Amino acid sequence: MAMHFIFSDEVVLLFDFWSVHSPAGVALSVLVILLLAVLYEGIKVGKARLLHQALTSLSISTSQQLIEETDQHSTSSDSPHVSRTRLRWFLCHFGQSLLHVAQVVIGYFMMLAVMSYNTWIFFGVVLGSGVGYYLAYPLLSMT
Amino acid sequence: MGHFHHVGMSMGMSSGDDNSTMAPSHHHPTSSASHSHSHMMMMMPMTFYFGFKNVELLFSGLVINTAGEMAGAFVAVFLLAMFYEGLKIAREGLLRKSQVSIRYNSMPVPGPNGTILMETHKTVGQQMLSFPHLLQTVLHIIQVVISYFLMLIFMTYNGYLCIAVAAGAGMGYFLFSWKKAVVVDITEHCH
Repeated sequence: MAMHFIFSDEVVLLFDFWSVHSPAGVALSVLVILLLAVLYEGIKVGKARLLHQALTSLSISTSQQLIEETDQHSTSSDSPHVSRTRLRWFLCHFGQSLLHVAQVVIGYFMMLAVMSYNTWIFFGVVLGSGVGYYLAYPLLSMT
Repeated sequence: MGHFHHVGMSMGMSSGDDNSTMAPSHHHPTSSASHSHSHMMMMMPMTFYFGFKNVELLFSGLVINTAGEMAGAFVAVFLLAMFYEGLKIAREGLLRKSQVSIRYNSMPVPGPNGTILMETHKTVGQQMLSFPHLLQTVLHIIQVVISYFLMLIFMTYNGYLCIAVAAGAGMGYFLFSWKKAVVVDITEHCH
């Protein structure tokens, strides 16, 4: 394995079947890696937004629960509320965990792609991260 | 180590015949890279493979040779990734708790009519020599070391170990962030 950046028409990336030997193949690989980097930035923003949405929606429902509890002074009528809130929170958190796994895996894939020491692939990762950040982070402050 | 050189196959390849197709594809790039050390590039696999024969893990004495050892390594890597996620969330919690102490400084400033007004400055943060900051630093060092270990484990390209890293990270995030979200919910409303 070469331990310095090279410009090369051939690269083997991540999997056995992903081995290219032509400039067109390398260009296609760079495009795929670029999209992967954009997806990575998007997942980061998506996780934060999902957490924010879950906290706001569930805090509303818990405060509604408290209001109902003080009005009615009975716990039997709001047990479906509690279980529904818990179930929603569980599903939301499970979805976030799946997103987290995807983020970890894609992050490692990008690290391994840069480790191929192919300069075109490296440019693809850097450009993809930039484009992904540019597109995704404004969506973070949107509510 | 002798048989690595004469066949030119990487150490992970000896496990299955599905990896034997890799040998021709590995020979082509060496000619373009203009390197004479063709046997050196075979020491590290460069694509994902599933196997448990002769897998080196991080340290020189740690070599996996049997399925049982691979299962043990899977569990250990899984727990390490879970611990890493827990450490990240524990550090966040500790930082938030130690930043509850807010320092107020009152400074006199000249007012509009020649009067003196008292302006209050609020600083949130840790002092350098305080115990919480030292603890955060130690935990940060541990976190950096573990994150590099996880990266190196993923770099073995062994499919089982990579799945252990990903699954451990997911499970750790699920378990520790669950508790954190409940805590965050309460404290955010108090602020």
